[in-house]
Amino acid sequence: MSSKLVLALPSKGRLMENCASMLTEAGLAIANSGSARGYKGAIANFPDVEINFVSSSEIAQLLKNGTAHLGITGEDLLREAIPDWEERVTLLRPCGFGYADVVVAVPAWWIDVRRMADLEELAMSFQRRHGRRIRVATKYMNLTQRFFARHGVSSYRTVESLGATEGAPAAQLAELVVDITTTGATLRANDLRVLNDGVILRSQAHVVASNVARWSEHIRAIEREVLGALARAQRCTHALAPDRLAKILP
Amino acid sequence: MPKAAARKQPALAAQADRLMSTFMRRGYEQIATPVIQPAGPFLDSVGEGLRVRTYVFVDRDGQELCLRPDLTIPTCRLHLARHADASALARYCYDGLAFRFQPGGATPTHPSEFRQAGIESFAASDREQEDATILALTLEALREAGLAQVQLCIGDLGLFAALLDAIAMPTRWRRRLWHHFWRRDSFRRVLMRLTSSEALKAHEIPRDVVGRLDPANPEAAEAIATEYLERCGLNVYGTRTLREMTERLLAAAADAREAPLDLTAAALIDSFTLVRTSAPEAVRRVCDLLRPQKIDIGPALVAFKRRLDLLQSHGVDTRQAQFSAVFGRSLEYYTGFVFQAISPKLGATSPIASGGRYDGLLADLGAPHPVVAVGACIHAERLVAALDGEGP
Repeated sequence: MSSKLVLALPSKGRLMENCASMLTEAGLAIANSGSARGYKGAIANFPDVEINFVSSSEIAQLLKNGTAHLGITGEDLLREAIPDWEERVTLLRPCGFGYADVVVAVPAWWIDVRRMADLEELAMSFQRRHGRRIRVATKYMNLTQRFFARHGVSSYRTVESLGATEGAPAAQLAELVVDITTTGATLRANDLRVLNDGVILRSQAHVVASNVARWSEHIRAIEREVLGALARAQRCTHALAPDRLAKILP
Repeated sequence: MPKAAARKQPALAAQADRLMSTFMRRGYEQIATPVIQPAGPFLDSVGEGLRVRTYVFVDRDGQELCLRPDLTIPTCRLHLARHADASALARYCYDGLAFRFQPGGATPTHPSEFRQAGIESFAASDREQEDATILALTLEALREAGLAQVQLCIGDLGLFAALLDAIAMPTRWRRRLWHHFWRRDSFRRVLMRLTSSEALKAHEIPRDVVGRLDPANPEAAEAIATEYLERCGLNVYGTRTLREMTERLLAAAADAREAPLDLTAAALIDSFTLVRTSAPEAVRRVCDLLRPQKIDIGPALVAFKRRLDLLQSHGVDTRQAQFSAVFGRSLEYYTGFVFQAISPKLGATSPIASGGRYDGLLADLGAPHPVVAVGACIHAERLVAALDGEGP
């Protein structure tokens, strides 16, 4: 392992643009290193920072196994990809973009289902009639399972859905969904309604540290500088995790 | 493969031979079922604890498959393939691999890939006799494999079903309590709700719908629901039908008018689920609970007692067996007698053998009518571990 701090960033889309402008505002503008057609990058005044551009879901994997020291990704993806995420990673600061709520949504016409508890009752009669369990389409298999278990809902199956999850009930591939939403417009357009107690997580992008990466004194020092620059730029608009604040500030 | 596991291979093979020869000597037919199974029957029938640990995958035809997490359902499917009617008497035994994801990481007693040696009996009409035979044979196989000392834990879901039947309440409440029986916390929550007229009324269904529904007039209900949905611009779509929803609306309307469950009855149900005692004591304890309430579950208790006597006549010492009223909560398909054999060495978290009665499963898997069934399986790796240093 080199003595560089590895920072994993999303490789494309709105999230990548937001990350780039956040870093630029903090005086940490990204310079593509030229090699490997843009999958590696650098920061002008920080020669010991190496940027890896990867897909959003892979960022969680890199932080989980310690290949990257820092990363910027959605809390939803971290919690989904890393079962013991609180041990493996530390959320350093929310970014103020990449907002997404992970929610449980049912067909809007199900006026008898308002809360998670109704879902288990429904599941019971559904199984008696159809001879199978109700299906939940989602890409968040783990978040769904934990949240449903916490609400005592167990007579369901998850069906993995890697895109256009909101269309699954109408396509009869599932009866309900666990999906992300920002404004709720997509859910409404698909005649879906979020359960009253069906918000699993209000997620946004975070700067995240891996707890299992190899942190030398040198790399810690770089981390403090990078985070210091981000903190100064965003000046108190967002709360810092208090235990980290002590490490960053003298 | 870890070295320790590799070293156990010869012991596992020899042990499997011994277990199978015990079963076959008793007239059980040895069968082999596919390791790869359609995922549906497992995901629809087993409880959550096992479901989330099943390895599920999609093949190139888009079929959802799984590595079998146990061998009972594959054995049922084989039986159904042979006898569409399913009511032919059959006794099978098997020795094969099962697969379960272990969330905290696999260990020697909780491997993700392990052998099960088991027996299943279908359509034997004398239930208590067959329950006793299956348990006695399981213990005999353990004994012949070298394990003489086991702690036995038993339960009987038939007692709980009989108790629910004996207490006055709407059938839908019985179904609800039975459905939640497997989950301790939500079971208590549901039980408490049924005792409160406030909670029974406090459904969040729009009041202008539920207030107009008359449980005695289901025909009118669908029209009322349709009218409401149209007024709100809500389209009916998906697999669930309007009729299904109307039934639940009617149930909610009926709940709101129903007298809540008697508090003493709820307390009785709760106390019953807490009964833990030695097996011979269990009958007396349950009788003591029921007598003051004048509740009679006679036939279920007689069956329980008869089974104990039969076990005793098969040479099983039931005096040392532990009874728990809620035992059997881990797999949802059990319907009656359930048991586990625990070795002092491995403890209660790693039972060596377990089994029980599952009279509803064959029908769930496609049999045209309910078929009585009971079975048991031995966790081969655990048996080897329990015998390590003391085997034959």
